[in-house]
Amino acid sequence: MDFQRFNQLSHLLLNDQFVLSYSGYVSEDILRAVGDTLRTRLASHVSDSNQIRNIFSIFVELMQNIIRYGDDGPQPETGDGEGKPAFGIVLVSQTDEKLSVMAGNFVTDDEAKILSERIQSLAECDAEELRQLYRTKLREPVEETSKGASLGLIEIARRASLPLTCEVINNGSDYNLFMIKATV
Amino acid sequence: MSNFSIEATARTPSVSLNYEAKSFEMAGESYPEDVPAFFAQMNEQLDSYFAASKDELLVEIKLSYFNSSSARALMEMLDNLDSEAAAGRKIDVNWHCDPDDDITREFAQDISSDATHIHVSICDLAPLDAS
Repeated sequence: MDFQRFNQLSHLLLNDQFVLSYSGYVSEDILRAVGDTLRTRLASHVSDSNQIRNIFSIFVELMQNIIRYGDDGPQPETGDGEGKPAFGIVLVSQTDEKLSVMAGNFVTDDEAKILSERIQSLAECDAEELRQLYRTKLREPVEETSKGASLGLIEIARRASLPLTCEVINNGSDYNLFMIKATV
Repeated sequence: MSNFSIEATARTPSVSLNYEAKSFEMAGESYPEDVPAFFAQMNEQLDSYFAASKDELLVEIKLSYFNSSSARALMEMLDNLDSEAAAGRKIDVNWHCDPDDDITREFAQDISSDATHIHVSICDLAPLDAS
């Protein structure tokens, strides 16, 4: 990367409205470290402890989704036979009194379709429907293969104060960038 | 049969099982890297307690935050407690929730309405417990 592009990136990310951003490989250690930093930043930005709790909770679920499902990108394999490491981006930003968490990771065409439908259906649920859905899902066996059809997404929808939104962008490569946004 | 305790970490709660006090307590936050492994050790300790006597048990849940994987593990733990209570043991659960945290309170309500043999009381989490 040259300085020109690096400057463009800095211009975007070193903006006051951005509480925190992270991109790259995501692991449990990263989740913990970035999570601790997020809490410190939120404590100085936000006075509403419930808003802090909800944002932190959404952040944890989104990071764990990347850890579980973020191994579908253009990143190289680790070389230790473990396949590709999890790769993604997360950004917490503030607009007026609202905070939002956006997360992105690469997914296949099929996963993009499933995830988008899933989020659309969650976005149409009211609080009581989400509560009942969570309750039902809690008692169902964990779906190892179904990417995104998890309890975590319902948790995110419940903690958000606006309906979840998402978008899938294909930049002309084999990989689709799936992006989700939750606002509290 | 000996008392069991583990210290809290950044991502796991403190846990203590006391045979004399007939009490089991979890306090802090729960979003462990390996949720099944973390909860397995607690369930193992509870099974030992149940195998050792017919004593009652008071369960105190003082979790200021837990992730969705921990929610599932908590539900399974309470299901096990409910089965034990169905077999005749007296088990009471005090579930301490932050008064502002509606979602956790609703979760506690939903879990307790699914349980038919344990008695779950939902109470306010003291600010000290939440820190």
